[in-house]
Amino acid sequence: MTERLASRSDFEAYQSQANQNWANLWGGDKLVVSVCVDSGSIPKGAERILALLQGMLGETDAVVRKVSGTGAMWADVAVEVKHPGAPPILYRNITESNLAALLAGELDDHAIGVRADSAFKGIRPLGEHPFFKYQQRVVLDNTGIIDPDSIEEAIANGAYSALLKVLFDMSPEEVIAEMTAANLRGRGGAGFPAGIKWESGRKARVTPKFVVVNSHEGEPNVYKDRRIHECDPHKILEGMIISSVTNGAERAYNYIGGEYPLAIKRFRKAVADAERLGLIGDDILGTGKSVEVRVRTGGGAYVCGEGSALMYSVMGVRGQPRTKPPRSVEEGLWKRPTILNNTETLANVGAIINNGGAWFASIGTEKSAGTKLMTVQGPLNYVGLVEVPMGINLKLLVEEVWGGMRDGHEFRGIQTGGVSAGALPYEYLDNPVDFDSLTSIGGMLGSGGFVVFDQHVCPVDFARYLMAFNRVESCSKCVPCRLGNPALVEMLDRIRLGAGSLTDLPLMERTSKHIIELSLCGLGQVAPMPLLGMLKMYPDSFREHIENHSCEAGVCQLGGVPVLAAAAD
Amino acid sequence: MEEVAPVITGQAGNLAQHPADDEILSGQIDLDVVREMLTHFIYRDHQEAQELILSALQEINEHFGWVSLPAADVVAEHFGTSASRIYGLLTFYADFRTQPRGRHFMLLCHGMACYVMGSQRLVQELEDSYGIGDGGTTADGELTVQVVNGCLGACDVAPLCKLDADFHGELTVASLNAAIHNAIAAGGSWRDAHAHGPVNGSSHD
Repeated sequence: MTERLASRSDFEAYQSQANQNWANLWGGDKLVVSVCVDSGSIPKGAERILALLQGMLGETDAVVRKVSGTGAMWADVAVEVKHPGAPPILYRNITESNLAALLAGELDDHAIGVRADSAFKGIRPLGEHPFFKYQQRVVLDNTGIIDPDSIEEAIANGAYSALLKVLFDMSPEEVIAEMTAANLRGRGGAGFPAGIKWESGRKARVTPKFVVVNSHEGEPNVYKDRRIHECDPHKILEGMIISSVTNGAERAYNYIGGEYPLAIKRFRKAVADAERLGLIGDDILGTGKSVEVRVRTGGGAYVCGEGSALMYSVMGVRGQPRTKPPRSVEEGLWKRPTILNNTETLANVGAIINNGGAWFASIGTEKSAGTKLMTVQGPLNYVGLVEVPMGINLKLLVEEVWGGMRDGHEFRGIQTGGVSAGALPYEYLDNPVDFDSLTSIGGMLGSGGFVVFDQHVCPVDFARYLMAFNRVESCSKCVPCRLGNPALVEMLDRIRLGAGSLTDLPLMERTSKHIIELSLCGLGQVAPMPLLGMLKMYPDSFREHIENHSCEAGVCQLGGVPVLAAAAD
Repeated sequence: MEEVAPVITGQAGNLAQHPADDEILSGQIDLDVVREMLTHFIYRDHQEAQELILSALQEINEHFGWVSLPAADVVAEHFGTSASRIYGLLTFYADFRTQPRGRHFMLLCHGMACYVMGSQRLVQELEDSYGIGDGGTTADGELTVQVVNGCLGACDVAPLCKLDADFHGELTVASLNAAIHNAIAAGGSWRDAHAHGPVNGSSHD
């Protein structure tokens, strides 16, 4: 089974064997126990639970397996149990102490749902749980189901079937036509149509060309791309190979944030397995086409999520953005045409090829097609990663999908667009979430990271936190960002510590304007946005601090001594 | 942006039991080990050499806890570049340290999820009670803290930290102090976190 596959029929034989093994696993008369292991569940002891289960069931013929997480971090450590003749049931919050009860079938109060269309012994289908009910899974369709380290399980669940079509049944022009019809817009935040980018990449005459995947994801509240790597790495790899074949690139890079060891490890495993089967490397499946895949890791600099900075980092120098043009598709990595896409964008490619661009365009809204991965953090009941159609109502997301506020916590606002946009108070929640809708009210979809905060968080202090992040992460190449952000932190410190004046408010707006208009790269140009959002939505908090020296949330140490921002932290 | 950490005063004699740990925790970097690690970073051309520099530095940083100037020289030599360029990388990217770690190493998550759940109080506590900020080491060389601007990835139990090999969630000031005291009392060191193998190994698995 592990030989190199040299032709289409070799692959199809492997695929049918994989399908058979997969069917046998679920159709057999064995107990199947699947433990969700990802970077969200490992801190809660998932690896220990897996080892304990292997010990407890080692003598039996039960199958104990590792799978990826389902995105439901609130349920970690989650374990799925399938008894012979019954559908698989997913249980939440499994610990050492309730493990025995789980195996004895006495843990119904921990059951989230049954992986079937109808209820089983009073347990509802997983799809009826509010966290899963509104989700539509295109990118995450295999998460929680397959072992991310098994290429065989991935192939049994559809991996590389789109690659097969691209290699044997479609011309590059047809692939790009489907991508354009799908209206797939860049998932990294900017929303640039991927079809147009590929069109330019295909037409570029200079060779060699490169494909680069941006998996850096350095924002302090986004973990979607990390989870795709941890849960279904072959989806990204397949997208990379399809992009390379279509655009005529001979080498594809995946640049992953160095802070995510498990994502790196699982992706490297996927690359090694695909290499072994001959799905990457020279002469893929006998077609004469060759793609080399390289994994490069970041060093913890937020700015490396910016396209040109990322490429400098791949080239082993400081990741500092450059002026554009030339765009990277004209002159990118090693001064060659480079087709750069976000991880989530590429992870959608397989489904678009398999189901057609028109199918993809029918999901979501007219201008924002498809689904979007969104992550949430804060004092909510169902914290986790979801995949929902574009245009979903933000209020529905917060109150239903993410389960509303935990007891004792009162909704005060939701920070949108990572660190690149403003927060929204409750009265703005009733809005659709897509690339364009939130922008008009000062929010942003961005990369899909949301943070909900409660009455214990002070908008002034929060603004200071966000600006301090932007200050620390400024690459220091251009003056407006390097000096402007510390200046804003300094002003916020004055206000926060009770030494601010009302003239600081217009001064902050003016300084922000300078940073936005004069900064070199996209990150500098949005750096003051969270502050402007807080100023717009919570003006009373700022005035309270300045005029009455009081902080409603009780966070700010009014009366403290402000320090120069350059020396702070 | 870069803060210079106080030099550790703790000496090898009263640190870990294993000789290899003693050496690493004493703030020495054995250049022969660095050379051995670099043999795994094979490059076929100039481009590949440039691309591998960061990965190699990450592996060295992960193994020793920091990268010293002599180690940077060895790296520069291996990849045919200048030491100043290597040092430029070490001081630009936040993951690298140019001072040794203390005996225990804490990654304190200060991502937005942890912030809204109160991690600012924990950062403050480390400063007030231990006298250390981001990248700092206590005067007795017991604890180094790195405040993570990104995210440790278990946001539903925020605020959290990783101390040596263990995660601690839903932290309060009291439980943070307890975690630190227990780690110090139990012996061991940040090297224990390496039980799971290298983070950025050049091998595939």
